[in-house]
Amino acid sequence: MTATLETTVLSTVDTAVELAGVRKVFGHGNSAVVALDGVDLKVKPGEFVCLLGASGCGKSTLLNIVAGLDGATSGSLQLNTSRPAVMFQEPALMPWLTAARNVELALRFAGVGRLARKRRALELLKLVRLGDVADKRPHELSGGMRQRVALARALASTTVSADGAPALLLMDEPFAALDAITRDVLQSELLRVWETTNTAIIFVTHDVREAVRLGQRVVLLSSRPGRVVREWDVTDSSDAVLNEINTHLREVISGHAS
Amino acid sequence: MATPPDTLDKVGAGLDALDVPVEAHKAPMWRRFLKTGVPPIIAFALLLGVWQGLWASALLPEFQLPAPLTVWNELVRSIGTGEAFSILWTSLHRAVFGFIAAVLIATPLGLLIAKVRVVRAAIGSLLTGLQSLPSVAWVPAAILWFGVTPSTIYFVVLMGSVPSIANGLVAGIDQIPPLLPRVGRALGAGRLASARHILLPAALPGYLAGLKQGWAFSWRSLMAAEIIATSPQLGTGLGQYLHNGSSLNDINMVIAAIFLILLVGIGIELMLFRPLERAVLRARGLTGAL
Repeated sequence: MTATLETTVLSTVDTAVELAGVRKVFGHGNSAVVALDGVDLKVKPGEFVCLLGASGCGKSTLLNIVAGLDGATSGSLQLNTSRPAVMFQEPALMPWLTAARNVELALRFAGVGRLARKRRALELLKLVRLGDVADKRPHELSGGMRQRVALARALASTTVSADGAPALLLMDEPFAALDAITRDVLQSELLRVWETTNTAIIFVTHDVREAVRLGQRVVLLSSRPGRVVREWDVTDSSDAVLNEINTHLREVISGHAS
Repeated sequence: MATPPDTLDKVGAGLDALDVPVEAHKAPMWRRFLKTGVPPIIAFALLLGVWQGLWASALLPEFQLPAPLTVWNELVRSIGTGEAFSILWTSLHRAVFGFIAAVLIATPLGLLIAKVRVVRAAIGSLLTGLQSLPSVAWVPAAILWFGVTPSTIYFVVLMGSVPSIANGLVAGIDQIPPLLPRVGRALGAGRLASARHILLPAALPGYLAGLKQGWAFSWRSLMAAEIIATSPQLGTGLGQYLHNGSSLNDINMVIAAIFLILLVGIGIELMLFRPLERAVLRARGLTGAL
């Protein structure tokens, strides 16, 4: 049950994402801050990986690099997937567009035709059980509903590739701003969507319980600079793993008390 | 883990049911009219009453303060002879053409200032300064450059409205939450697609405020230009009409002209900008001011 993974046994053929020695430095000279220092990470197609770490561990930076929103200072990134989709802590829906049109926007940028766009957007909204509010605007929806629209939009942007490359969804603490009950519901919603779409997911969180509940694998990052401390296979999650990860996270954080 | 999934589904459905927005029912037509239409009518009636009272008290001679009725008669006369329409048309088509030209110049200018750092550093504050320069100040120079021709009038109108529109667009773009263009990039939008589908619509409220102010500036600049630059070849616009009234010592004509100038300002605001602004703000849930 509790096993540290041998990352090297994975062959490159069944790898969706491969990061090797990724390093990211912000600023220059004396004021330079090393956010990531030699991060190696492999994600298989359809795998659900949770990146866990305290503040300042560079988990968002890592996600931005995989998303192509930010470049690494050194190291290599290899993607064998379609365009990665990103979900942020805020839904970041376009406030002037309806829920359906927000989802369609992702398809429009991918060059999908109008009719196909409409059909696919409604399909995805139904997948997150929002088919009834497709023509509502973001301000008319609750926080949880907005985040589900954002999920549908993210799925739209990653599942359109024609060559059948596996999909990849990057999530940056997407449920952190929601209340406990809504978060609980959305977590199970996400698991259901993940099982039906077979999308690889990299999910960033600082909540151990969330990481263990959602992920198949939990990767713990250290803070300043961010490095991979340890990995756990959590497909059969138990309280023992939860406690063990918690202990390690506390160690990482208390290491910074001076 | 602890809660079985089907129970969570039910909880989710319950949350959704609770979260579905309640449609606010609309008040009947007459009630809305009572709320928004009646107060300005009362205010106008009060103003007329005060005016009539002042006139009746005979504090000022008739050539300075006429009775409301004689001004009304002058208006009716000029409308009856068709003079009012030709005057309005002369001024309105100048203002509209000038405004359209201003929009065409100011929109790319605003985009450049907002998105290109060097351009902003170079002419950003100049543009803000121009906005506070009364456009009448351009009339003497324009007359020297272009003579008393339509070019002078259009030049003054442009100098009045271009800075407002460009500044409105810049402000609109500056106020876009940075997350939105980032989402656009994450969704695979190129620079052009991002400008068209994210930046411009996101900046629309600010842009619209700039357009509104730009229209007001182009209308008042036009009036200033028409009052100062008068010549037979320019025809009679509202400004000339006002100028003529003053030259003829005809206070009825002067007040009628001011009334018409105001009427155009209020009319354009009510018929064009107010509905546009409402539609844009309502779509974003910004209904506080409506």
